Amino acid sequence: MTRQSMFVTLVALGAMQIACGGAAVPHQQMSTAQASVRAAEVGGAKEHPQAELRLKHANEKIAAAEALIKEGDNETATLRLREAEADAELALALALKEQAKKDAEQALKRIKLLMQETQS
Amino acid sequence: MKMHTARFAYAGCLALAALACGGKAIPPPELVAARHAYEDASAGPATEYAPASLDTAKQALGEAENAWKEDPKAKEPETLTLAYIAERRALASAAMGEAAKARKDRIKLDEEYMELQAKKASMTAEELKRVRDRLQIVSQKAASSEADLKKTEAELAKERAARAEAEKKLTAAVASLAEMASVKEEARGMVITLNGAVLFTTGKYELLPIAKTKLDDVAKALQEQGFKKIVIEGHTDSRGKASDNDLLSERRAQSVKDHLVSRGLDSSKIQAVGLGASRPIDSNDTPDGRASNRRVELIVNN
Repeated sequence: MTRQSMFVTLVALGAMQIACGGAAVPHQQMSTAQASVRAAEVGGAKEHPQAELRLKHANEKIAAAEALIKEGDNETATLRLREAEADAELALALALKEQAKKDAEQALKRIKLLMQETQS
Repeated sequence: MKMHTARFAYAGCLALAALACGGKAIPPPELVAARHAYEDASAGPATEYAPASLDTAKQALGEAENAWKEDPKAKEPETLTLAYIAERRALASAAMGEAAKARKDRIKLDEEYMELQAKKASMTAEELKRVRDRLQIVSQKAASSEADLKKTEAELAKERAARAEAEKKLTAAVASLAEMASVKEEARGMVITLNGAVLFTTGKYELLPIAKTKLDDVAKALQEQGFKKIVIEGHTDSRGKASDNDLLSERRAQSVKDHLVSRGLDSSKIQAVGLGASRPIDSNDTPDGRASNRRVELIVNN
């Protein structure tokens, strides 16, 4: 192998590395996704089935991203982490919705009870 | 003919080229789902209650649409991820809208609750006071009426009994005096007229024993019945000196008074006067007439 051919080979290998997920490890996306999961948990996502399901999806995506990072596929890992963030945010929104609806139902129940007491 | 075939072949090539370039490509299900999710969110409360969240969902959908339009094949993984994110953003937006609406409803319900509670509390206090006042009035009236009724009934019964008893005794007393007295109701009061011949010996003013016995009954009856005032008038016939008659009639009246007082009647309520022959009730020309004029009258005022 001549010097010229070796140079060409190195360039080609470098080009392939870039093409095959040569992106940097998505630390920032990982932190953001994990923070979103924690926010959803604090927001009560585990207390409502629909929210809990989305939280489960988020955690699965994060786990998949971690596996991809280990494999060196940082690009796909980034996509999974972005999806995980969206799932976690949806989990939080669903938890807030369920809690708000529950509070409203209780308020309605309370006022109905009072009205019954008033009439009796 | 060759020309026609060539045109057909060109058109076929254009169609294939269009398919190859994605001009007629079918969007991925993830993107379709994202579009539907966004449409649903737009039609829900998110428009009013969570416009910022809905706008974020719109931007996410826009990014997914652009990625798919630019290069459906080359960017497929990213397009799918963007569509996935867009769908979740839209669902989250819808949820945020519903949450905001529920919170607003809850605030309204809480306000209504407070208002109703305050109203109930005030109504209760007011009603309670009204009921208590009413009850108090009713109970007072009831107690008062009952007391009055009892009092009235008791008093009436007592009064009736006393009156009946007094009347009975007076009637009995007067009846026992019938042979020597008469009783008449006049404007000046009840007038008991005692025959002078039965009370006194001629020319004297000491009461005869039988007269005392009869007057005892009268005294007892008057005491029980009660009276305000008694005027005892002594009367004579026209024979003899007027001054003597006046003196005699006064003394006889006084004798009757003294006897009644000795039987317990209040002296201060009894007045004895001698009227002599000034007020005859019959003729002084006949023995019977003169006997009638010789009398003592007890005018009783109740």
